[in-house]
Amino acid sequence: MMQAPEENRSPIIYLNNAATTWPKPPEVLEEVARCLRTPFFEHGRSTAGGATDYPAAAREALAVFFHAEEPGHFIFTQSATDSLNLLIHGFAKNQKTPFHAITTELEHNSILRPLHALEEEGRLTLSTLPFDDDGRVTLQQIKNALRPDTRIVVMTHGSNVLGSLQNIRPIAEYCASNNIFLIVDGAQTSGQIPINLSELPAGAFVFTGHKALFGLPGTGGFYLTDPEAIAAVRQGGTGTDSRTLAHPQDMPQKFEAGTPNYPGIASLLAGIRSIEREGQDAITSKCRSLTSRFIGKLSTDPDITLYTPLPDLPVVSFNIGGLDNDEAGFILAKAYNIITRTGLHCAPLVHNRIDGGKGCVRVSFSWFNTREQIETAAAAIREVAESAGSQVHSD
Amino acid sequence: MKEYVLDEPLNEAFLEFLDQFGTVRHLEQLKKPYFSFEKEHFISIKGFTGECNVEVRYNKEFKDLVADYFHLLLFYEREGQPGVSRLRGIEAAIREKMKTRQDSAGGSRI
Repeated sequence: MMQAPEENRSPIIYLNNAATTWPKPPEVLEEVARCLRTPFFEHGRSTAGGATDYPAAAREALAVFFHAEEPGHFIFTQSATDSLNLLIHGFAKNQKTPFHAITTELEHNSILRPLHALEEEGRLTLSTLPFDDDGRVTLQQIKNALRPDTRIVVMTHGSNVLGSLQNIRPIAEYCASNNIFLIVDGAQTSGQIPINLSELPAGAFVFTGHKALFGLPGTGGFYLTDPEAIAAVRQGGTGTDSRTLAHPQDMPQKFEAGTPNYPGIASLLAGIRSIEREGQDAITSKCRSLTSRFIGKLSTDPDITLYTPLPDLPVVSFNIGGLDNDEAGFILAKAYNIITRTGLHCAPLVHNRIDGGKGCVRVSFSWFNTREQIETAAAAIREVAESAGSQVHSD
Repeated sequence: MKEYVLDEPLNEAFLEFLDQFGTVRHLEQLKKPYFSFEKEHFISIKGFTGECNVEVRYNKEFKDLVADYFHLLLFYEREGQPGVSRLRGIEAAIREKMKTRQDSAGGSRI
């Protein structure tokens, strides 16, 4: 539908970057093409020489990008969801008795569902902490929720609905000093803001490749500080020690079985290089500027409800009075060629609090959005709001 | 959910017909005049008057019973008032099947 060759069809304004970024930097597409043009090479899996060992190169690049000490502790997965499942289930597998876990109402189903599944199996009990009016969960809340059998905290770094950034460092320090394993979901923050893992003593930090890191969908991973804390839940071929039936416990093989997604990892490598070329601070600054400008255009409209007055991340969730969020998204897409996301955004507990569980429209910006696009989108949303509002008032 | 491309653009006469079978909403002041049609337990339709593309969503629970309902609307709209009567008869039969299904599952909401 988006590519229908209609005359006078306005250009696409893509505002769904919190789901997946589009477009990708040209160098990402070039690197993927280059990867596919030569035989794949990875030490232990191929004798093809002269080609890039993408997994090794990407681990090194990630270590520099995230200021992490051990490149080999970066594990590639299919996605942040895949990473979180491996970590949560791998942690639970290591526990000999049921334990207590803490999470928050801000979380994505990639955290809520694995924890719910383990809770249903009786493997853990769960405390889910509410967020405050700023969309944050505090260290004090975590301290208050702590029990003698608390073993793990799993929480987001940045909300995919509210755009609120969690003050994660003191939480990480507290967890580390109390022998509690902290998993941080950095799906919305990786590539969006500077992250220094050498100053963040989390047990594991999760990233996704296809959002602000500009890689392809089907890529993601995590950085694991202590490999002993997580049991492997998958076994298979690693290209090393093939004679033994016991799966290797060295990093990264312990958590990587099977042929990697080479083109995806190539895209991730190129995405990181593009961010370093533009500068992380420049990206963060531009996205924040776009977000402020957008909110400034909508905040005085009485028919538009904004759920975060000034988010830390370039994520703005709103509803239009008198219009279902699904309808609003449909109108913006079909009539204005503005791509957003509607519904619950895989974060049901946030919506229970902010919109009675009905869902909302979400726009999210990237480095590639422009000021003109933001202003066009804001004008379109106000136009839709005015039309819907006038019908409500006449009814 | 399915998207259909109709032979002719949707017009206000079709919306007036739809209004006899469910809830129609028409936002005429938009850049493209948007409409929606909701019929509980059956389908919802979204589109723009003056255009040929529509999006139709079918009730999951009764999808097999309502799969043809959109096409029935298009067909009977051409027949005027006799078409309205006939379609109401077909609807009643579908509702009976929905009720029977729900009763055997332990409770009817139809």
